[in-house]
Amino acid sequence: MTAETTSSAPATVGPVGPVSPEEPAQPAGPGPAAPPAALLARLRASLPGRIALRVLSALVLLWAVATIVFFLQHLVPGDPALAILGGASANPPPETVAAVRAQYGFDQPLLVQYADFLGGLVRGDLGSSYTMKEPVARIIAEQIVPTLQLTGASLAIAWAIAIGSTLLTAARPGLAARIGSGLEVVLAALPHFWLGVVLLVVFAVTLQWLPVVDDGPAGLVLPALTLGVPLGGFLAQVTRDEFDAASRQPFVLSALSRGTRPGDVRWRHVLRHAALPGIALSGWGLGSLISGAVVVEVIFSRQGIGQVLVTAVTSQDLPLVIGVTFVVALVYVIANILTDLAAVAVDPRLRTSIGGAS
Amino acid sequence: MRPRPALSAAAALLALTVLAGCGTADPSASLPTGTKEGGDLVYATDREPTCLDPHNSGDMPQTYIARQYLDSLVSMKADGTVVPWLAQSWDVSKDGKTYDFHLKKGVEFTDGEPLDADAVVANFEQIMDPDTQSSTDLLYLSPYFEKATAVSEHTVRVTLKRPYSPLLTVLSQAFFGIESPRAMARGLEANCAAPVGTGPFKVAEWKRNQEVVLERNDDYDSAPADAKHQGPAYLEKVTWRFLKDNTARFGALQSGKAQAIFNLPPESVPAATADSRIDTDDFVHSGVPFALDFNTDSPQLSDVRVRRAIVHAADAPGIVESAYAGVFPYEGNALSSGTPDYDESYHEPFPYDPDKAAKLLDEAGWTGRDEDGYRTKDGKTLTLRLPYNSDPGETPPADLTIFQNFQAMEKRVGIKVELQPKDAASMTAIKTDPTAYDLQGRYWNSPTPGVMYIKFSKETLDIDNGQNVARDYDDELDKTLVEAAGTTDPEKQQQLYSTAQGILTSQAWHLPLYPVQTRLATRSDQVKDIWIEPSEGEPVLHDAYLIRDGA
Repeated sequence: MTAETTSSAPATVGPVGPVSPEEPAQPAGPGPAAPPAALLARLRASLPGRIALRVLSALVLLWAVATIVFFLQHLVPGDPALAILGGASANPPPETVAAVRAQYGFDQPLLVQYADFLGGLVRGDLGSSYTMKEPVARIIAEQIVPTLQLTGASLAIAWAIAIGSTLLTAARPGLAARIGSGLEVVLAALPHFWLGVVLLVVFAVTLQWLPVVDDGPAGLVLPALTLGVPLGGFLAQVTRDEFDAASRQPFVLSALSRGTRPGDVRWRHVLRHAALPGIALSGWGLGSLISGAVVVEVIFSRQGIGQVLVTAVTSQDLPLVIGVTFVVALVYVIANILTDLAAVAVDPRLRTSIGGAS
Repeated sequence: MRPRPALSAAAALLALTVLAGCGTADPSASLPTGTKEGGDLVYATDREPTCLDPHNSGDMPQTYIARQYLDSLVSMKADGTVVPWLAQSWDVSKDGKTYDFHLKKGVEFTDGEPLDADAVVANFEQIMDPDTQSSTDLLYLSPYFEKATAVSEHTVRVTLKRPYSPLLTVLSQAFFGIESPRAMARGLEANCAAPVGTGPFKVAEWKRNQEVVLERNDDYDSAPADAKHQGPAYLEKVTWRFLKDNTARFGALQSGKAQAIFNLPPESVPAATADSRIDTDDFVHSGVPFALDFNTDSPQLSDVRVRRAIVHAADAPGIVESAYAGVFPYEGNALSSGTPDYDESYHEPFPYDPDKAAKLLDEAGWTGRDEDGYRTKDGKTLTLRLPYNSDPGETPPADLTIFQNFQAMEKRVGIKVELQPKDAASMTAIKTDPTAYDLQGRYWNSPTPGVMYIKFSKETLDIDNGQNVARDYDDELDKTLVEAAGTTDPEKQQQLYSTAQGILTSQAWHLPLYPVQTRLATRSDQVKDIWIEPSEGEPVLHDAYLIRDGA
């Protein structure tokens, strides 16, 4: 019990911390004189305030991402005009190169290009892809759905593995726990590119249980396993450690002494504690799944933003790179908000502690 | 948290999808018997074009797919002659500068526009317009093309600045497929997504990173004279699927998910040969073989003796054999064996001879040795930088093996070759920076021996777009090739092109390695009559049909 209480404590005491003695907190009335620290504290204290802060920090994050990507792409050697015209294998005449430079504004100073680019972002205009000659927003809208399906299915598989392995083997005497733990380490260490090709060759090419390529749900199984299995091994390891600790808590003993069946104790009580760190890591996990999707989408020839990102980076397709990076950053932000909410759903104490502070 | 129902639902879904994936339907199962008519074909290929209009840019994947929905003015046969297609006949003026094409009458684009002289003129104008961002088409046309005019409703006149006898074979490529003027007027974005032609299929949908769906043009009646049949295609629908991964692409063929795949991976050739249901069709591209181009701007390589020494020391047939295990043959000429007027006497001009290589290097003054045993001159080591694209899609593993073999062979005579893996952007940058490379691996697919002029002339060097990778020219070679372009006499052409191959060989501006090949693998138990046309190795699906009883 104690470990969880302290870990959630900063959320409750945090807002009080920054308020200095000289500037007592002014809970009543907003007033323009409210010092930033106190304002921040008040914002943090309420749920809408916390969400507003999250959104604000998300916006700052997106701006930073856009700026970094913009300047990094300009540090890449080579003329983007040539990249647009087909890269190293094409031989456009100089007039065509000049026309493209003028069309895309590459002849402008870098800061002017940056200002134009930021202006476009503010208007919600991600621009048009250099190579695909289509609006970036449309490309992403078309490609994000298969990627989200893939990552969603992978996360479900990862959790199925983590929960299954923990319930079956964690905190059990003897060999079972060691085998379970060892297996998880192996799964967590499997590289995507290797696992994907092995699954493809074994289940699709040799056994033909699943299609090599398919756009329906059957085609999702192998790619989702490729991504989900290593993450599942990792989540299981984290959950197992927590499960071991929680199962030694007094409440387990008291539940057992009330006559609750051991299986129910593991399932209803201990797992609830053990799942929290895994849930917190799922937000990060979703992000890592999206970067893993880059590899998996190529192996299984799936549509998705991973494939788009690879081609966009190699062909110096700046608007598309930024668009995809944006979306990935956005997924991280949303995933972290969702994992916070999930943690609240699993751990009722978090609800009361936030409520109490506001 | 009550994961029990959610989990069991997930398990049920998994079981369902596994069941759904079982078994592959025979594509001809529900087709009418006794005819070739009907059915869907899945054709899987490795590379996806960035634009479906082949006038834009001009990369190989564009021409392969464009052949299915665009017709050209003429069609090329393997011997380099052309037969009628959209142009029923043509007249060439005595001075070789005016071509009158007489178009087939009654042909319509799939958007209902008529094919007339104005439409063809609009195509030439669109190609020449910088906004189209054309590259390949301009390399063929801009030094010669002056204007295209409509002489009458069905006669187009192409006027040239100077004679250009390869023009007809050049126009046979799908790169010069004729498109609807109304469709082209929509602008680059719309025209890239769905160009409109007069061809046997039309673009129905392009799902990026996945496939292009092609539907039959039921009114098609403008097949080339060398097609296996006239009239509409047999197949109702073609799914042009992009499967980058070699294992997945070959697996799709084996499992029957695809009836034909392009670019059978070299490692799958033994499995394909052993499988009685799989037929392979190898096509040797016309043009310049895959070769290491020598940058003559580098001080080491400006000396022809050094260039010849490199070729003598390389044992090119040996390094190709070792890398491609006999799947690709060796070619030492500046032209591939599939090119019209290829001269076999230059097949292996500088046989493996390390002693001769050493002698040539001595003569060139590279007589010193550094501590590693490499040759030096005035204290400088004889080093050659060979940058290559580190993406295995661009530099296949076998090509990398070739580079490594080459490096090892040159080391034996004291030449240091530095292999430099680079990303795509750096390779693009290197292209226009002659100080950044000494050697580069390149090839050029082209239906005409005139490609030697595109790759090695003063004119292309002066354009300075990185096309002349050797960065050199030879007045005699230029004169010979201009003369060849100026004559329509086949015998004279053959003699001149042969002379040109001789000059190129003696200059040793490159080390040719192997001819570029297209390898098509098909399920012979499911589909028949896919053929490869010779100008660019484009697969032709117009005559293809699905096998069933009675057909």
